[in-house]
Parts: sequence; C-alpha cells; structure tokens
Amino acid sequence: MKQKDLSSGISRSGGRGFGIIFLILSGALIVYIAYPVANITTIIEPTTLLESIARPHVANAFLLSLVTATISTLLLALFGIPLAYCLVRYDFPGKFLLKVIVIIPLVIPPLASGTLLLGIFGPYSTVGQAFPVEFTQSVIGIIIAQTYVSSPFMILLAQAAFESVDESYEKVARVLGKGRLETFLRVSLPLAKTGIIAGFIMAWVRAVGELGATMMMAYNPHTISIQIFEDNAIGGFQQTIPGVLLVILMSVIVLAVFSAIKKGEGLKLGW
Amino acid sequence: MGLELVSLTKNFPGFTLGPLNLKIDREILVIIGPTGSGKTTVLNLIAGMTEPGGGSVILDGSDITNLPVESRRIGYVFQTPSLFPHLNVYENIIFGLPKRERQQKNLHVKKLLDDLGISHLADRRVQGLSGGEMQKVSLARMLAIEPKIVLLDEPLAHLDPPTRRKLRLELRKILRSQGVPAIYVTHFEEDVYALADSVAVLHNGMIENAGRLETILASETSPFVSEILEEGNYIEGKVVESKGGMTIIKVGSHLLETLGEYSVGSKVGVVVRPEEILLSKEAVKTSARNVMQVQVADVAQEGSMADVQLRTDSLQLRVRVTDEARIELDIKEGDYIYAIFKAISPQVVREES
Repeated sequence: MKQKDLSSGISRSGGRGFGIIFLILSGALIVYIAYPVANITTIIEPTTLLESIARPHVANAFLLSLVTATISTLLLALFGIPLAYCLVRYDFPGKFLLKVIVIIPLVIPPLASGTLLLGIFGPYSTVGQAFPVEFTQSVIGIIIAQTYVSSPFMILLAQAAFESVDESYEKVARVLGKGRLETFLRVSLPLAKTGIIAGFIMAWVRAVGELGATMMMAYNPHTISIQIFEDNAIGGFQQTIPGVLLVILMSVIVLAVFSAIKKGEGLKLGW
Repeated sequence: MGLELVSLTKNFPGFTLGPLNLKIDREILVIIGPTGSGKTTVLNLIAGMTEPGGGSVILDGSDITNLPVESRRIGYVFQTPSLFPHLNVYENIIFGLPKRERQQKNLHVKKLLDDLGISHLADRRVQGLSGGEMQKVSLARMLAIEPKIVLLDEPLAHLDPPTRRKLRLELRKILRSQGVPAIYVTHFEEDVYALADSVAVLHNGMIENAGRLETILASETSPFVSEILEEGNYIEGKVVESKGGMTIIKVGSHLLETLGEYSVGSKVGVVVRPEEILLSKEAVKTSARNVMQVQVADVAQEGSMADVQLRTDSLQLRVRVTDEARIELDIKEGDYIYAIFKAISPQVVREES
C-alpha cells in the first residue's frame, strides 16, 4: 500500500511501468524455480515408482544421509559457533585472513574440495597411514566431506547472528557478575538463537545434499545424492524419482520447521 | 569505605585522561563535563571495562585495579537500559543473583521493585515498557546485586523531558537509600543540582574542580566551571505551602511560587533558566506569579545578548536579555530593578525532607 502511494505521488505511468517490468522479471524466476518441483509429479510412471520404492537401498541411502548430515552439523555447531563468536567479538591480527579462510569451502567446487580432503585423509596420506581407521569409502569419509563443504553456512550465519547481538547486553551481564562463559551461554547464545538455528538448518540441508566431495571421499556407502546419481546412470531418469521425492519431502518439512521457528521467534522478539 | 582513585590514567591516541585523584565516601558524586571530556572512560576504568594506563582503583580498602569486571560487584547503569530482550522484567532484575542466592534475596528484590514503583511490571515483557520504566528496571537489576558502588552514565539522557524530570527527582532518594557511593556522569547542569552531594568537573581529561556542591556553588571557580555550572540559576529554599498544584518556597526573605506539590517543610532546589526571567524598571502587574526587587550586580554584553547578574540579600540570579532591551531600559550596575518570572519557570530538581 505504501509503495502504491509513493509511486502515485511521483509519476503514475512511470510507477506502473516499473511495476510491470519487475513483476515479469521476478515472476519468471519464481516459475523457473518452482515449476520443476511441481512437474515431477506429472512424469512419474506408477509401476516404475512402486518397483523403485521396493528397493530398500534408496531408503537406506536417504537414512544414511540424514544421520551423517546430523552428525556433521552437530560437529560444525560445536566448533563453528565459538569460531563465529571469536570472529565477531575479538579483534586480532590476521582476523581478515581467517574470515577469508572460512569461505574457502564455499568458493571451491565440491569435487575439488573432495580431492583436497583425499590428499589429507586418503589411504596413502600421512593421516590415512597414521590411524587404523578407514577414512575413505566409509561413514567417516562421508562425515568429513559433509562437514568440510557445509561449514561456511554454519559459520557465516552464526557470525551474522552474533553481529546482530548488541554488545551492551554482554557488558551488562559481565558487570552483573557473570564470567565470559556464563555471559556467552545465558546472553549471547540465546539472543543469537534464531540466526544460529538458521545456520544449523542451512548447513544440515547442504550436508544432506552433498555430492561432489562425498563422491571423492566415500562413493560407498551411498548417500542419497550418490544414490540418485547412480540410479540415473544405471537405470535412467525414472529410477531417480523415488529418491528425488524423498528429498523434496524432506525439504518441505525443513522449510515448514524453519518458518515456524522464525515466526515464533519473531513474535517473541517483536519483529 | 568508599572509592579512591590514585593517579589513574588512560592514554588514547590524541587524548589523555588523568592522572585522576579522587576519593568518595557514601555520597553522590556528579561528574559533569562536555562530550569527549572522558566521563564515560572514568566509569569504565572503575568498572574494569577499560584497562588503565597507570594508577589504581581502590574500593572499600582493597585494590581492584586488576580484578576482572565480573568480580568487582559494581552497579553500572548505561545511557541505554540494555534490558535482556529474551527475559521478562523479573528475570532481568534477578539476572545478576547467583541461583543459590535467589531464594534468600527474594525480599530484597521485592523491596526494590516497591521502592522503584515497578512491582506491577514484574511479569511483563521488556519490549512493551516505556523509556522511564526500562531505565527503572535496569536500575533495579543493578541494585539487586547489592553493589559496593553505583555508576550511572547519563541514564536519563534518552528519556523525554517530563519523564527525565520525574525520574531525576526520585533518583536521589533511591541512591541515598542504598548507602553506597554513587558516581553519576552527565552533561546536564540540572543533574548536578538534582543529585549531587559533591561535584567534579571534567575538562580535557582532567578534573578541574571537585568538592561539595555548596562549596563549588559558593566559591569562585575557573571560567570553564562557571560556564558549565552557572547556565541556570539554582536556588534552594524551604516549602512553606503546597496545595492545589501550587507550591510556595521560602528563599531568605523571598517567596517563590512554582507548580507541583511537595511536602511542606522539605528542602527543595529549583532551577530557573536565565532566558525565562523578565526585567522591568517597575513592579508591573502581570500574570507572572514571581516578582522580586533586585539589584544589578554586573552587566556583560555578549554579542546581541546581555548577561545581567542580579543580587538580593538572599539570592543571586543570572538573566539573559537582548542587549537592545538592556540599552532601552538603561540597566546599569547598582540599579534597583524588578525580576519577573512565571510560576512555571522554576523547575524543582531536588527535594529533601
């Protein structure tokens, strides 16, 4: 309503032209994003679908992705939240460099990240030789790959969350007799909660969908992305649909949960 | 008991604070100074939020210079209330109390809420509070930990004028009732009259003048101090009558009329702005309630304005009029004239029973 008033105040026809152009451009992109999701239901062949669902390895791969992504994200929360806090609250030489380092996994293509990780954890690497554990072709390999690739989401969103917390709250808590840790746990963390949850969800979704780095580190056991990739390579497009449907279902649930949390928080914080 | 600063310094690029030497007991010290004079830094040094370049902070006889913030038990109220948005009013107030002490401190907290008149807000979310209520909650939160000293950094600065006046009048009683030293930092002259037992004027990082309020007001001070402290006219008197929203204050041989009701017999301090006083050669009858005969002690011209110092046997007034008006009225040193101001002009900033 406000926009309408504004445009009519300046130039009616100019405002209308602006409206039409922007409506077309944004509408086109929305259709481009949403239509493939809606379309999938129209191209399902019921017999193939039933047959595919009967194959337990799709469900297993999906489950494996959920479990590994959850572990990866918890690890990221444990290490990433303190890192994000330090990057926001403390000034030290080399801080800028650290801020660049944390976005490396975001800018390097995941396949390349996988190669980098193989260099460290591969069977013939120093680390790979030093531990009696299979880092590659194992659940551990999946987690290593997911954690690496999803880390920027957790760190960047937690950073933004802490940045939005006014430092004066922490000062007040300290004066009121609370040490750094208690201040962090009782003030900074609760106030940054929504942003951190957003980071957690983004990192988790990224980890569930991870393909490139996981392919290099652990083609087996199959995560859902590798399963979809393989189903397409071996059985063709129709074979991938059960996996795709599961992933879509998960996304819908995640989006709903996230919106609910955001809305609930919004009410509480008076946004 | 009390606070002592010994040669306390802090260096910033291009600015040095101190060395500060200061000793205060169970009293309210108001530090006044312009923006950038280092007022907040003084408080931060005492609270331990800023590391001093040298010197020491001694509280109740022990050196706390190297103690971390959280171990000092200092009450600090900032310009903005900074109430924790994720906690309600009561949770905010008890935030500083260790969990095991909450039960036994319950009565103390209850009394605080009563004294500050915020008991009815206890279960409220902090988001819906008015500015004055928020600042009261932050005061309660700070007093709940029973601090050894209270620091206030212009806590009234962001309030609207009526709320500021009201809370300022209450603040002195609240702070006095705690029985601990308090340092109040401000750039408002009224705050000095309203709250101070003693005053320190901070100028370019140095304390230019410190002492009891009455001494500072009576003595000849540096031009800077008088510029800051003699903006308004501060007058102390005794309430002789108060009813129907009007109060009569006896100042020496004068009776001042002002708005509001205060307890009869109490000692009050009022501030009258120099630009709100009219000068007249005769005792003209107007709607203004305060008319008094005065003698001109001094006249000083400042550009298009004139600063006229007036004197009676019991008070001094500074009046600002245009220089043109001064010339037309032919006001000279030694003349007897009349000072006239409305009952709404004297602002009661201090009340003591």
